[in-house]
Amino acid sequence: MKTDFIRKPLALPQEEWARNPLAFLGGPSIIPEDVRKTNFPIITKEDLIQMFVSIQQDGEQVVEEFQEAYRKYVGANYAIATASGTASLHLALVGVGVQPGDEVIVPAFTFIASAQAVVAAKAIPIFVDIDPVTYCLDPSKVERAITGKTKAIMPVHVHGLPADLQALRSIADRHSLRLLEDASHAHSASINGQVAGSIGDGAGQSLMADKNFPVGGEGGIAFFREKADYDRALSFLRTSGIDYRMSWIAAAFGLSQLERLPYYDAIRARNAAYLTKELEGTRLFSGPFVPEGYKHSYNMYRVKLSPERLGLDDLQDFRVKDAVQQLINEEGVYAREWQNVPIPGHLPFKNRKGFGNGYPFSLSDREDFGYDLRHFPETLNMLRNSLTICRELRTPIEYERIQAYALAFKKIDANPEAIRELASRSSDLTVLYERDARLG
Amino acid sequence: MGETLTKPKTAIQKEHYFSLSFVLSRVLNSGVIMSIERNDQELKGLEKSIAKLTQTRYVSLFNTYTGALHGALWGQDIGHGSEARLAHPSEQERSFLQWLGISLVQNPQVPLPYAAVDVNWDNLGELDPAISQARASAPVLVLDFTGLGFGPVAAIAANDELVWKKAERLKIFGAFDLQTMWTQEESEPDLQPAVQFNYRLSPLVAACVKLSLLRRNNAS
Repeated sequence: MKTDFIRKPLALPQEEWARNPLAFLGGPSIIPEDVRKTNFPIITKEDLIQMFVSIQQDGEQVVEEFQEAYRKYVGANYAIATASGTASLHLALVGVGVQPGDEVIVPAFTFIASAQAVVAAKAIPIFVDIDPVTYCLDPSKVERAITGKTKAIMPVHVHGLPADLQALRSIADRHSLRLLEDASHAHSASINGQVAGSIGDGAGQSLMADKNFPVGGEGGIAFFREKADYDRALSFLRTSGIDYRMSWIAAAFGLSQLERLPYYDAIRARNAAYLTKELEGTRLFSGPFVPEGYKHSYNMYRVKLSPERLGLDDLQDFRVKDAVQQLINEEGVYAREWQNVPIPGHLPFKNRKGFGNGYPFSLSDREDFGYDLRHFPETLNMLRNSLTICRELRTPIEYERIQAYALAFKKIDANPEAIRELASRSSDLTVLYERDARLG
Repeated sequence: MGETLTKPKTAIQKEHYFSLSFVLSRVLNSGVIMSIERNDQELKGLEKSIAKLTQTRYVSLFNTYTGALHGALWGQDIGHGSEARLAHPSEQERSFLQWLGISLVQNPQVPLPYAAVDVNWDNLGELDPAISQARASAPVLVLDFTGLGFGPVAAIAANDELVWKKAERLKIFGAFDLQTMWTQEESEPDLQPAVQFNYRLSPLVAACVKLSLLRRNNAS
C-alpha cells in the first residue's frame, strides 16, 4: 500500500549531539537519513470522510460551502474561490479596478505569481525593494515608485509575516490608490487580530497543497472589502469567458482541513518560537523578526546568517551561506535557498513578451521599467545571507524534531573553522542571483 | 462544446461513488496531492492514458477548459495580436479569445488551431469516433473532461513536441520550471516563458479522470 506513514520515530535529542564531529566530516548526523521525512499536508481520516460526503453532493454547493466557511474564518466581506492562487490575485486586481496599462507596485522578493498576476490583469508590475528586517515590501521606498499610472499597491506577506499594511494604507490613501494583499503565505497571520486577507481593499491567496491551509491539490481564494469590487470581479469572469473555478474535490479537502487549521497553526507557532529562541543562543544564526501585534504564520522560516559574529566576515557572504547549507543539510536539516533571483530578473520580466507582441508592456511609454537588479540591494543582500526552512517547519512536526533542528544549527555554529574551510574551497561558486532563476 | 461555465448535465452517478471514493482515498493515503511533487504519479498516469486514448505523443493537463485553449493557442504561437479561425466557437470561446487579444476570422484558408472533444458520462464509452474526427481536423486536440463532474479539467494532445513545450511554458511550475528547480539550470533557454498562469491540475482530480477513462468501456 502506498502510504505516507512515517514508520520510524526520531530518537530524543541530547545536547551532546551538538558536540559530535560534523556529519560533513564523517561524524553522526543530528537527524539520521532514515528519519528525515516529514509529511505535508497532514491527511487524516476526517479528510477521507469529508471526501465521501462531498462526492454525493452537488459540486458547486461543496465549493460554496468551503468559500463561505473560509470567508468567515478570515473575516472578509466577500470571497470567490478559484482554481489557483494566481487566479485569485488576478481576480483581486481586476476587482479593485486595475485596468490594462495601469501600474501595480509589488515587492521584488516574492513568488513569481504575484507579478504574473499583474501581467494577467494586463497591467505593469513595478518592483520595489524589501525591508531588510521583515523582508516584506518596504513602505519607505514605495512612494518614489508611484507615477500617474499607478493604480494599486500589492504587498506580499512574505513567508507568512504580514507586510506593514498600516504604512502602506497611509501611502495608498494619500495617492488615491487601491491596497491589495498577496496573502498566499499568510493563512491565519494577522495584525492586531485582523486576519491577513481581510485588511486590504482586496486580496488573493493561494491554497495549494504546500500552503499552511491547503485544499486538495490546487486552489485559491480572492477576498474583497467592497461589494462593487466583488461584483466587478464576477463581471470580469462572465465577460472574459475565463474559467477560474475551484474543483469540488479541492474544496472538500479544504473543508476538513479548515477544522484542524488552528491546531496546526498552534504547533507551527510553538515550533517557530522554540527555534527562534534557540537560535538566539548562537552567534551565526537568527530567526525571523516579528513586530509587536503581528502574528507570523511561518509558511516558511528564513534564517539570517551574520558571518561577522563568527569572525567570517573576510569571506564573501554567499560563500559562507553555501558552506553552511552544505553542512546543515548533512546534519539532516533541509535549509536551502528559497528563490535565488529577484523577480524582475526572471525571464518573463527580462523578455517582456507578455501575452504576445509585448502586450501589456507595450501599453507603457516607459523606456526603463526599473527591472535592473541593482535597484534591489536589500533583496540581493537577503538572498546572499539567509537560508530557508520550508516544508520541514510548515508541517506540525514533533517537538523532538524541532529540538533536533536547533541542535543542528548549534552544531554548525560551533564549527567556524569548518565553515571557513568549505567556503574557501568554493572558488568556482557564482553568487546565486547570477545563476538561472528558479521559481522556488 | 466548451460551455464549461454552465453546470454539467450529468452529475456523478451513484454507481461510481464507491470506485471514485476508493481512488480518492488511495491518493490521499499516498500523501502526494500536490501537482509539483517529484514523485507524483497521478498526473503522469493521466497524461499517459490520454496519449493512449488519442494516439498522440504529447499531452499537457490543465485545470480548466479555457486554460487548455490557451495552451493550444500559445503552443502554436497564437497570442495577442494574432488571428485564429474556430469551426463553431461557443460564446465562451469567443469571449476568451477576445480577452487574449486574438481576433477570430472566418477565412477558410486559415487552418483550425485545435479541435475540441467534450468528454462526459454519456459519451465516455464511445469516444474513439469523436477523437478520430477531431484529430483529422486540427493539429491539436483539446479534451474537456469537465462534464465528468470532478470540476474544471482539460488537456491538450498533440504530436508536435514544440506545441507541448510551449504549452508547458505557459504554466507556472509547468514541466520546464520544475526541471529548473531540480537541476538549477534552465533547460530550454531559447524557449522562454512569457505571461504564465497557474493552470496546474490537482492529482486528486487527475486520478478521478484517469479512473473514468480506464473504465470507459464499461460506461453506459
